[in-house]
Amino acid sequence: MRDSIARRRFLQLLCSSATGLAAPATDVAPFFEEIPPAASGIQWKHVAGLSSKMYVPETIGPGCAFLDYDNDGWMDIYLVNSGPCDFYSPSTPLSNALYRNNRDGTFTDVTEKAGVRGNAYGMGAAVGDFNGDGFADLYVTQYPRSILYRNNGDGTFTDVTEKAGVAAPGWSSSAVWFDYDNDGRLDLFVCRFGDFDKSKMVYCGNRDTGAHYYCSPSVVKPFTCWLFHNNGDGTFTDVSKESGIAGKLTRAWGVVAADINNDGWIDLFVSNDGLANCLFANRGRGKFEEIALIAGVAYNSFGAARSGMGVDAADYNEDGNVDLFVANIDHESYSLYRNNGDESFDDMAIPSGIAAATRFLSGWGLKFFDFDNDGNLDLILCNGHPDTMVKLYTPTVDYRMPMVLFQNTGAAWKNVSAQAGPVFHKGLAGRGLALGDFDNDGAVDVLVAVNDGAPILLRNNVGRRNHWLGVRLIGRKANVDAIGAIVSYQAGALKRRRVRVGGGSFLSSHDPRMVLGIGQAAKIDWLEVRWPQPGGGVERFHDLPLDRYVTITEGQGTWK
Amino acid sequence: MHSNRSSLLLLFAYPVAFASAQTAAKPAGADSSASTQHAIELVEQGRCKEALPMLEHLMPHLADKQLRYHAAMAEARCAMALDREPTAITALLQLKREFPDDPEVLYITVHYFSELASRTSQQLAAKAPASSQARMLEAEAFESRGAWDEAAGIYKAILEQNPSAPRIHYRLGQVLLSKAGEIGPVDDARAEFQRELQVDPRNASAEFILGELARRAGQWDEAAQHFSRASTLDVGFSEAYLALGISLTSARKFAEAVRPLETYVRMQPEDPSGHYQLAIAYERTGNKEGAARQITLRDQAAAAQGQKATGPDGRPVR
Repeated sequence: MRDSIARRRFLQLLCSSATGLAAPATDVAPFFEEIPPAASGIQWKHVAGLSSKMYVPETIGPGCAFLDYDNDGWMDIYLVNSGPCDFYSPSTPLSNALYRNNRDGTFTDVTEKAGVRGNAYGMGAAVGDFNGDGFADLYVTQYPRSILYRNNGDGTFTDVTEKAGVAAPGWSSSAVWFDYDNDGRLDLFVCRFGDFDKSKMVYCGNRDTGAHYYCSPSVVKPFTCWLFHNNGDGTFTDVSKESGIAGKLTRAWGVVAADINNDGWIDLFVSNDGLANCLFANRGRGKFEEIALIAGVAYNSFGAARSGMGVDAADYNEDGNVDLFVANIDHESYSLYRNNGDESFDDMAIPSGIAAATRFLSGWGLKFFDFDNDGNLDLILCNGHPDTMVKLYTPTVDYRMPMVLFQNTGAAWKNVSAQAGPVFHKGLAGRGLALGDFDNDGAVDVLVAVNDGAPILLRNNVGRRNHWLGVRLIGRKANVDAIGAIVSYQAGALKRRRVRVGGGSFLSSHDPRMVLGIGQAAKIDWLEVRWPQPGGGVERFHDLPLDRYVTITEGQGTWK
Repeated sequence: MHSNRSSLLLLFAYPVAFASAQTAAKPAGADSSASTQHAIELVEQGRCKEALPMLEHLMPHLADKQLRYHAAMAEARCAMALDREPTAITALLQLKREFPDDPEVLYITVHYFSELASRTSQQLAAKAPASSQARMLEAEAFESRGAWDEAAGIYKAILEQNPSAPRIHYRLGQVLLSKAGEIGPVDDARAEFQRELQVDPRNASAEFILGELARRAGQWDEAAQHFSRASTLDVGFSEAYLALGISLTSARKFAEAVRPLETYVRMQPEDPSGHYQLAIAYERTGNKEGAARQITLRDQAAAAQGQKATGPDGRPVR
């Protein structure tokens, strides 16, 4: 006997069920504490230029970054703003912001001196030392042209975009520095969000009622992303076509660079909005093969594209393979792709509980990290719907959404947002999210960029309850930022492996140092660094200190 | 009831009058054409008792398709007015068969069948008000309005009188699921579907929903067992094959997933989901050629669906 229900609809409705977020707990100290602008000195605010025309970029940005631009060992902050373009003329001049870390929990705005204001409708930032001079350079994605700021090493930057040839015309979103050809120099991948300009905008809304919405991204025609090869002389060559990157049309939001098949070549995972995600497997000799569909990371289980936004990669289950995460839009649930080690992945979002917990969320910035330094990689996400009017047509969904923190217990993912702090119960138009230990206490802090609002700086209060070691890796033969390095370590019974991935999150860039949590162990027995190619060497270290940062330079056989 | 009929008569006055004018403009033809025209005029005057026997007699002999269209419209209208339901249904089916894409035909079909449904439900309420069928219909009316508690109350009352009544536990389970929404507990609903299977072990839909509840919880093996039984109980239940395949691929039982997925893509070749899942299953079992073919089919099916999902201007429908 069969009932006449619409089973497909039911099938899809059922798999949409969610458990929701737990109620806030009030008797436990928050894991993360919001540092108010008055305390941090960060008075800057993002101005989106939200308009009655509702141009899609208005609700997408901004991104943010932790970087140590002056090499003083303290993380500084970079914040991206909107700016003039064909659809927006700010009434007052807008600027990105560079805040220098005063080493006392406060920051000073040094934007003007540094010369990193931006010059168009800014989106995000990617930090990398492209010229290997030891100073972090800054790539700022914008519409309609992006900027490469070379760090002069004296507190100032120079716009070298034209000489470098990396303007990437169009609407760029996330970008990542990584060495795709293992020549020891950082190359640049830039996500492009389709073929957008003011003239291509369409009306989205209900003409009968006059209600006007921000368009679904599906109205933007897909286009290709950019891959720039670093020539080593301050210039880059656009290799998008010959590398195979331009063979795939995208509406790309997020990107992470990681070696997903352990072949020594860094691959790229790109999230797309309303299109299949892309997994560009680096086959060497400058060629990429797009394998997302057959790898199982392109679509949901019904073979339908989701609205992929934020992404990250990490070996969360310690099996030696880098896993992937994608945040999607509400009612799609987020994806946790477990790497099977054979270029195939299984979406573990349902059995892990992540699908249910994220059912009504739309996610942007996110990152795997060990927030409590117990040795397990946890996961933090910031959320928010891209349409300010969403409540009108989806009453169960808000424009502003709370952040979420998942704790990895080693056996399961536990939603600990309720204990994580008041900010996790507050609706935010969260977009970019960057990780960085701004107070150098080994507890990795969080910076969230908010659309049309002030950024949120979160101090981590729990990481210092366990022991840790902070490691800065400097490549010599390998790329200077050591993207692709693998750090393994053992502390008593705890044995862990961490991969230095490039990028991850959304429009954002992170503290390049790795913080290795060891729980309550009294010492680190050993630590091993496998350097990326073309170095490729393995160095092992003993007698390492605890609860401080060290620097390991490739080939020196010691730490400082 | 009478007001409904009046409105229906008014509703279709225009098309009949339009037919009358159109037909009158044509040159005089055979006797049957003239008689039909006359019958249509009688319908316009509200003289259905006279017109209907004429139309029933003339319809089989009409060669002119346009005239047949208007005559069938008039026949359906009068048959509804005179409670001659079989005649009305015959006329509507003829219109649907001969003019399947005609908006007016589709429109009146909706209204007449809705009217027939309404009349039948009133007959059921009048003839057997205490029957379980009448109460089920009442409960379904509550369901359609989202009045879950009222609907559940009726189903529970039916079960109190007859715990073995078929389909009631199933309906109650559905109500409980609807009431729970996307975030509520489903234990009570699950229990009702399990009870339904005790009453009717051949209820494929109950098996299917139990499978979905298991799949939602990531219990792939249990889900696969339910979907397998659902597809065995009802071999035409295509969604059960897809859900079985998805559960098996999720459980990494790719070889086992191939057969149900192959069945599904044969049954629903236009659905990209089946091709996608089958591509994954083929790929993971070493059949790369088969996987490549399924990817192509998936892309073609998705493109076809995408075209359907675009508006007249070619832009995606939000």
